[in-house]
Amino acid sequence: MEIFIWDSIFPEFLRSIKINAMLKKLFILVLLVASVGAFGQGKFIAKNAYISFYSSTPMEDILGESNEAVTIMNAETGEIGFQALMTTFHFKRALMEEHFNENYMESAKFPKARFNGKIEGFSKDMLNAPVADIKITGKLNVHGVEKTITVPGTLGLENGQLVGTSKFKVTPENYGIAIPSLVRDKIGKEMEITVKATYLPFGQ
Amino acid sequence: MNKILSIFFGLILLASGNGFSQDLDELMNAEIKPTINFATATFKSTRIINGHSIEQMKKKQLDFRISHRFGTLNSGTYGLFGLDESHIHFSLEYGIKDWLMLGAGRASQNKTYDGFAKVRLLRQSSGTKFMPVHVSYFTSIEIMTLKFPERPVGTSNYFSSRLAFVNQLLIARKFNENLSVQLTPTFIHRNLVKTELDMNDIYALGIGTRYKLSKRLSLNAEYYYTFNPNAKSLEPRPYNALSVGVDIETGGHVFQIMLTNSQGMREGSFIPQTTGSWLDGDIHLGFNISRVFAFNKN
Repeated sequence: MEIFIWDSIFPEFLRSIKINAMLKKLFILVLLVASVGAFGQGKFIAKNAYISFYSSTPMEDILGESNEAVTIMNAETGEIGFQALMTTFHFKRALMEEHFNENYMESAKFPKARFNGKIEGFSKDMLNAPVADIKITGKLNVHGVEKTITVPGTLGLENGQLVGTSKFKVTPENYGIAIPSLVRDKIGKEMEITVKATYLPFGQ
Repeated sequence: MNKILSIFFGLILLASGNGFSQDLDELMNAEIKPTINFATATFKSTRIINGHSIEQMKKKQLDFRISHRFGTLNSGTYGLFGLDESHIHFSLEYGIKDWLMLGAGRASQNKTYDGFAKVRLLRQSSGTKFMPVHVSYFTSIEIMTLKFPERPVGTSNYFSSRLAFVNQLLIARKFNENLSVQLTPTFIHRNLVKTELDMNDIYALGIGTRYKLSKRLSLNAEYYYTFNPNAKSLEPRPYNALSVGVDIETGGHVFQIMLTNSQGMREGSFIPQTTGSWLDGDIHLGFNISRVFAFNKN
């Protein structure tokens, strides 16, 4: 696809630089490899990442867990993304799950939570080193509201596998999630979010 | 040639370096698999008002329900608008499986015990699998335990005379976030009825609806039309059951407050035996309280 578009858009350009057919082919090949690289290589993926949120009050503990979050890390730039469908979060109490989807997250309207960020001071060596503390800054999009956050985490090799974790707190009110006074005693002011992902090279 | 090479590298950098986040997003979008989206919370409770809704307790969840219906509003200040008089029904209802729920209850009206099963047959869904409606089957046995009246010598009472059987198909659709509607074809068989004018077999169609006013408040209405009602000459005269109410949800509780012309809270009672008339002011104030307990680990 790339080749044809390129050829049709820039025929004059290609002709004007007067290179022979071999070089032209090589040029296209290099471009092709580069663009494929942009879409796959140098990336790590975890398709079954764990995300939980936990709130604790003297009245009630609430724990929702998903093992179906998807995360991709760009090993060149340290960019990192997460996506999770709200309906993949499960709770001990069926009623909590229903309320989570119906009353708080409004999952039919806002089916996904997203995070797009970047590891601060990223270097490629971090991917081959033992687990170390990192900081990630990026945009968290929950319930249709986007906020820029900086969260602590860890990244590195654990038993030969690249593992990333993070634990941070979010305030539901900041994401337009109203908690009525009636249940205020049962739901914490802040939710503790725990993330754990075991990455594999993309495409494997 | 150097110039060409630098254009080369420039282009490569451009091709690989532009809009990475967008690129990551696209890759993740591709990885998130399309799912079946089941319609949830079609109704807030396992009852629309008097009758069952397609909602049921999930596996290992126990619902403890207490319901009251007071006397009629037209009893005036003498009966404090019905509050002097009260019928109670309480029950324990448990989810064996996500698709199977069993329950047992006791009503003070006619000292009646009841046991029921609700089985989910179809779930409304969109996404990778499309199903326009929920369908569940509900069945119950009701055992009236009032003492039999004295009988003429030589005749006897049978336990089977105390039994009534209810069969319902619950067909519901959640049209959107706010509006859900349920149709409930019903067949009731009563082994023994009071008079010859009472029907042993009753065919009825229920229609119930819920409209969400806010996230925790919804307006419900329910009407059961009886195709072969008991004879109109009966005293008291039979009427179709009509109820309107609100659901108020507070965490683990659901409160249902309603106005209804039937005092019974079981199908075998409010469908064939509603004797109040809305037009005459035979309206009962009532409430259902539901408290759910979870018994699953983790």
